[in-house]
Amino acid sequence: MRQHTFGQRKEALLFILPLALFLGVFVLTPVAGTIIGGMFRDTTFLKKEFIFLDNYRTLFADAAFRQSFRFTLLFVAVSVPLELALGTVFALLVNQPPVRFRTALRVSVLIPWAIPAAISGRIWELIYNYNFGLANYLLSALGIRSEPVNWLGNDMSAFFSLVAADAWKTTPFMAIILLAGLQAIPTELYQQAEIDGAGFLKRFIRVTLPILKPVMVVALVFRTIDAIRIFDIVYVITHGGPGGSTSSLSLYAYKYFLAGDFGYGSAVSFILFLTALGLSLIYINLGAFRKEFRKELP
Amino acid sequence: MLAANESGVMKNIMKNIINILLSIVFSFTFFFFSGCSKVENKTGERIVNFAVGGTPDESAFWEELVRNFEQKSGIKVTIQRQPTDTDLRRQGLVIPLKSGQADPDVFLMDVAWLGQFAASGWLKPLDIHTGKGKNPDLSVFFEKIITQADTYDEQLVALPVYVDGGLLYYRKDLLDKFGYKKPPETWAKMAEYSHEIQNELRKTNPDFFGFVWQGAQYEGLICNFLEFAASNNGGFFTDKGILSLNTKQNIEALDFMRGLIQEQKISPPNTYTEMKEEEVRNYFQSGNALFERNWPYAWKLHQSADSAVKGRVGIAPLPHFPGGTSASTLGGWHIGISKYSDAKSDSWKFVKFIVSRETQKKLALELGWSSGRKDIYKDPDILSALPHYAALAVAFDNAVARPALPYYTQLSEVIQRYANMAISGKVSAAEALAKAEDELRAIAGRYRVK
Repeated sequence: MRQHTFGQRKEALLFILPLALFLGVFVLTPVAGTIIGGMFRDTTFLKKEFIFLDNYRTLFADAAFRQSFRFTLLFVAVSVPLELALGTVFALLVNQPPVRFRTALRVSVLIPWAIPAAISGRIWELIYNYNFGLANYLLSALGIRSEPVNWLGNDMSAFFSLVAADAWKTTPFMAIILLAGLQAIPTELYQQAEIDGAGFLKRFIRVTLPILKPVMVVALVFRTIDAIRIFDIVYVITHGGPGGSTSSLSLYAYKYFLAGDFGYGSAVSFILFLTALGLSLIYINLGAFRKEFRKELP
Repeated sequence: MLAANESGVMKNIMKNIINILLSIVFSFTFFFFSGCSKVENKTGERIVNFAVGGTPDESAFWEELVRNFEQKSGIKVTIQRQPTDTDLRRQGLVIPLKSGQADPDVFLMDVAWLGQFAASGWLKPLDIHTGKGKNPDLSVFFEKIITQADTYDEQLVALPVYVDGGLLYYRKDLLDKFGYKKPPETWAKMAEYSHEIQNELRKTNPDFFGFVWQGAQYEGLICNFLEFAASNNGGFFTDKGILSLNTKQNIEALDFMRGLIQEQKISPPNTYTEMKEEEVRNYFQSGNALFERNWPYAWKLHQSADSAVKGRVGIAPLPHFPGGTSASTLGGWHIGISKYSDAKSDSWKFVKFIVSRETQKKLALELGWSSGRKDIYKDPDILSALPHYAALAVAFDNAVARPALPYYTQLSEVIQRYANMAISGKVSAAEALAKAEDELRAIAGRYRVK
């Protein structure tokens, strides 16, 4: 191995410096600020005071917090796998060479992703509307049901209404990332598999999936972190109702920030951060991400 | 009915989508161009910065008013334009105030957050400027509004610009047709009329409902619940300021609300999921309801050219339970001056101009806003242009305020959640209020520590 000279080391540090600075200013400082802030009673109307873990004690005793936590985890558990499955199907479809208008198809798949979440929330709010929503209109036009359905009316249907809205919006993201992965697979592999007599399913399981796995893990990590923060569509469509059953952790934190309790809001945000971190670590280990990644290095 | 409205539905959806897109474009434009200039006025003070939001016609009104004031006084005022949404307006004020910034100097506050703003020490006391013989003399305003909303810790911290109170809107033509001369005075009568007329009208209009009100999980539900509760001699606090949510009167009131949707079925099933002010107003305005609970702003819109109920609406105080009296939750916007303002005396001149009789009259005539000044309701010009103002004055005499506590938002969140749970039919009113009271006590305990 070659010895690095002092000058070389200095040069290396110089290259790392911008990234270190960037991470320090935009990632570490806010996270540290949130951790420290969460240990204070910091409202607009009481004296600021160090209370160590009191905020967390209150948090775990609060039924609304536990409900929001449960909802958030459940939402991640249902929406992310659903989006992964749909995204894979879309990616495979769009990747088929014989499909005509391939470019047009790819662009149209992307449209929901390009719409800001708050707006897609409004669109879905109108779709679920009891009186003039598209969903009830279709049900009655197709003769399935004449009585309108109150889509957001009970815990279960409100939950799945939100999942559907989220899946519509973020499946394209999955599809695009997976498509990039698919395109990296050499066609010879498929031809060879075909010669060996592998059917579509077998080709998918033996050729596509293994090569796609690292890409899938990346997509899953991105989507999971995003889904944990779920705020916009909940805020717009249900505002946490009915009876607080669809309140997400971010919505819960937001309500406290709005009320001017910054200490408590910080504590909730830190829990949110820990949850995202925990799930990401699980993914990376479960997906043997590091191993896969190393394999690809020369 | 749904199929018959096919093109109307699509048009409605398209219209909504276009509106949303436009508002996004506009709000971005404002972000880019709303810098605050730091030039001095002739008086030696900095320019007055006035934060105000609202619908486009409201914003246009404020701009004209500010130009008017500038010409008269020679004091320059810049408008810091805020969004329409109440939560966003609050957020836009909490951030500069918490960090002690000099701008905005003057701003409008929703009555629901006045308590927090005052307790945080962000509002300049106005006592030295007002009182007997001074301008304005406080006796020109509704007493209950000044004492319940604008006074905190025995100090005057704001003045009313726009006061709101819940009202009962009713279909005059339908009541006439079924031989009822007067709107109902009790909730039982309201339900009785609703059943009869709803049964009859359902034959031709399956969407017709007796009574529409705000039941979605948001602040408006609190306002509705407080009215039902207070009209049954209940409420959230006793006279001595002690929390009393889980009481027989409140349980009865909440149970009645639940029954309107779940058993009597005279309020639509989406009351607890979608019904906010505008949804309720549109439902009534398209001719699909007999009674409506809403704020005064709905009147002008019900009378607009494209309204299906134009000229067929009456307003009255909200009904009450036996042994109770009609109650109207106090809402509305109040004006205050920041303690951190660098233009306090010019700001006060501006506030005085806003609450003056002349400006308040203009607000009533041009925007249909109801004033906190009593003299407006006796003004002959107003009464001839806005005949419903006589009924409004009665509602403001029956005003009940939401608790003016600095942690009111947290309390409200709990009550919203449990009241919504009860009217959705998931739990009984008694169970909801018992659980809510436990959570309220925990919150109060946490924030009362000094």
